[in-house]
Amino acid sequence: MQNDVKMKNIFISILILIPLIFILSCEEIPLVLADPLIPESDKVVLIEELTGASCPNCPKGSAAIENILNKYPDKVAVVAIHGDFLASPIPNRSKYDFRNKKANDLENWFRPWYGKPAATTNRILTDDAQEPYTISSPDLWQAQVENELQKPHLLNLLMDIKYDSLTRKMEVEIAAIPLVELNGNYNISVYITESGITDAQTNGGVIVDNYVHNHVLREMLTKFDGDNIGNNLQKSSILKRNYTYTLPPESQGLWKASNIEVVAMVSRSSSSDRSVLQAVVKHLN
Amino acid sequence: MRNIIVLFLILVTYSLYSQEKGVFSGAFETNANVFIRDSAINAINTPQYDRQFFGGEAWLNVNYAIQGFNIGARFDMFNNSNLRNPNDSYSGIGIGRWFVQKTIDKLELSAGYLYDQIGSGFIFRAFETRPLFIDNALYGARVKYNLSENWHIMGFAGKQKNAFETYTGNVKGIRSEGFVNLGSDEAPLTLAPGIGFVNRTISDENMAGVVDALRTYLDEDRFSPKHNAYLSTLYNTLSYKGFSLYTEAAFKSKDIFYNPFAIKSEIVGSTLGKLEQKSGSVLYGSLSFAKGNLGMTAEVKRTKNFNFRIDPNQRLLRGLVNYLTPLNRQNTYRLTARYSPAAQDISEMAYALDVRYKFSKSLNLNVNYSDITSLEGDRLFQELYTEVIYKHKRKWQFTGGIQFLTYNQEVYEMKSEVPLVKTITPYIDFLYRFTPSKALRTEIQYMQTKQDFGSWLFALTEFSIAPKWSFEASGMYNIQPKKANSKGDIEKTLYPTLGIVLFNDAQRYSLRYVKQVEGVVCSGGICRLEPAFSGFRFAMNTTF
Repeated sequence: MQNDVKMKNIFISILILIPLIFILSCEEIPLVLADPLIPESDKVVLIEELTGASCPNCPKGSAAIENILNKYPDKVAVVAIHGDFLASPIPNRSKYDFRNKKANDLENWFRPWYGKPAATTNRILTDDAQEPYTISSPDLWQAQVENELQKPHLLNLLMDIKYDSLTRKMEVEIAAIPLVELNGNYNISVYITESGITDAQTNGGVIVDNYVHNHVLREMLTKFDGDNIGNNLQKSSILKRNYTYTLPPESQGLWKASNIEVVAMVSRSSSSDRSVLQAVVKHLN
Repeated sequence: MRNIIVLFLILVTYSLYSQEKGVFSGAFETNANVFIRDSAINAINTPQYDRQFFGGEAWLNVNYAIQGFNIGARFDMFNNSNLRNPNDSYSGIGIGRWFVQKTIDKLELSAGYLYDQIGSGFIFRAFETRPLFIDNALYGARVKYNLSENWHIMGFAGKQKNAFETYTGNVKGIRSEGFVNLGSDEAPLTLAPGIGFVNRTISDENMAGVVDALRTYLDEDRFSPKHNAYLSTLYNTLSYKGFSLYTEAAFKSKDIFYNPFAIKSEIVGSTLGKLEQKSGSVLYGSLSFAKGNLGMTAEVKRTKNFNFRIDPNQRLLRGLVNYLTPLNRQNTYRLTARYSPAAQDISEMAYALDVRYKFSKSLNLNVNYSDITSLEGDRLFQELYTEVIYKHKRKWQFTGGIQFLTYNQEVYEMKSEVPLVKTITPYIDFLYRFTPSKALRTEIQYMQTKQDFGSWLFALTEFSIAPKWSFEASGMYNIQPKKANSKGDIEKTLYPTLGIVLFNDAQRYSLRYVKQVEGVVCSGGICRLEPAFSGFRFAMNTTF
């Protein structure tokens, strides 16, 4: 019994002492939330966002994208990929189905990933083997973009678009100019995206009927994983590619030429490295 | 790892020459799934259905005890497994756990991957739940000192396990528990008090992620992030005659966590979900009473801002340092268990009452009621469950009852603009013994609901030949379907299961052909949404 009283005293001492130790040691030096220094360069970063009309958290991803575009105008190109997962139209609410074969292929190509929204920035590898290309927290996308903008600019990518509004035919001329010797294999990908599409979107617990979908991947002028543009690229060499495409007729608010953008990018092409060197984006009009 | 194997071999060699012989023990468990694509039930679009076709897991535990030493290791294998992410495939092989424990008089020293908890686990619980790929072992060291027969103090420090790696943050804590008898032999009044403290320090690497996120926030949502969180809990079990009262109060200092329900300001408008830094608390009480044929348990739990992770950037079931007890009844029948609520860590007020009455040796009654809302009063879950068990000698047994349930799919499954799921589920379970070794068990359940997938009928029959064999066939039939499948059709769909189970001493083998509808899978009170399954499942486990 006496022993137990002693133990009780020890117990009470712990009760008082430990919180005191915690309280006395809990003052931290505050962290500074400073933006990184972004060097001046012509580098343009590509964000490929995995999204979908039936995805409750995806508007958060889209908002993060708009914030990044707002913060780094002309430094970022965006492609919103409505593949398969949570991308089906909302029954009785959606007017359009944004899914297409190449979007689906791309979405699967970036697997594994935890869920949506998710985005890959320049297709750089993450530290997470369960999500090697994408990051599912939109809050972290901007930092990834900043990391990429801090890297050396290795390749210039120029794009010229001639569009005939009568025939709706466009001719895309792209030139890639390495700024250093680049070993390995390189691919070029060309995306057609459409913005300003008003349609239903799941947002948290509600469905927003007049949600504005931007950067929606509508078509690709290359294979989903790109076409080869060359191997072991020489510094200052000029690698040209031309593409033609006729926009489908404008119908029910879709395929409006004024909302169309063309995004092109050059990436490494190996089994372990798909990273993007440079992107370029241009409005059709 | 090599050092551990060497230590293991030294101990085994030592035991061969020592007076005392050591004791080996262990366990083996494996699951093997063959995936058969079926677009009619949305069993599609995962690597296993598309190209891998097989996925499985295996765990082998080996423990050895000698002269106060207790050492053990566990081999883990995940082969195209869908446990880590039900929509994807994970492979990994290695030593999933090792530990060394030595008892020296009143001192108990442990190192390696350790499982332990403080109180109910509100501030710390290192545990394993294999069906959900949870292995939150503490990789570190633990010292426990038995102050007396009834009192001990324990301290630990380490990192949290993350598959075959560890998270980078650090966690440490202390626990003291005791037992006091204040009453007499006629009126025994006992107390079992406990106290615990935990400190978690976010690693610089993880904090960089927090800072990166906060930099994107507008001023009104920003805060100055702190690396450290301090948690404390005080708990006690008071027992007096037939009464038992368990109370626990846990508190957390200002800590960073992701609140999926918080409104985040954007340049234009707002979105849902952001990091917050707030203090939190959990208050829990459980009063049990048993006298004669009556047994009652009443529980209450209030949770506020108690999401506690080793890294605030983690989501879903990843990186959880603590465990919040669910208050709802843990149902076992297929349809009554279909809608199970995961404990909410941001805002929850939960009550539960369980009453059991034994009318006679043959007749038992159980009524259970649970009610869960958010702290703001939004209905999350409500269940009234009744069960009558009648045993007729040893010949047959009847179990029957009805469940009334309300389930907030919007909150638990993040589904948009879906109404509360309201179900009424009567069920019966009839067991008939032909002989002492041969028995037939039949289950029939009907879930009436106008929400989600619509109404279901479930039937199961199981014929067992003790002690070796059990054969089962069951079907879950979407009798009044409400939901379109991947083809866009609303069809009445049958989800059959055929199975055979073999028991051989301590070994259990089962092989099943399964078609299973998507749904919430809960294990140990933790739940997650699982996709549909179509294929064969083999499982085997044994101890030795």
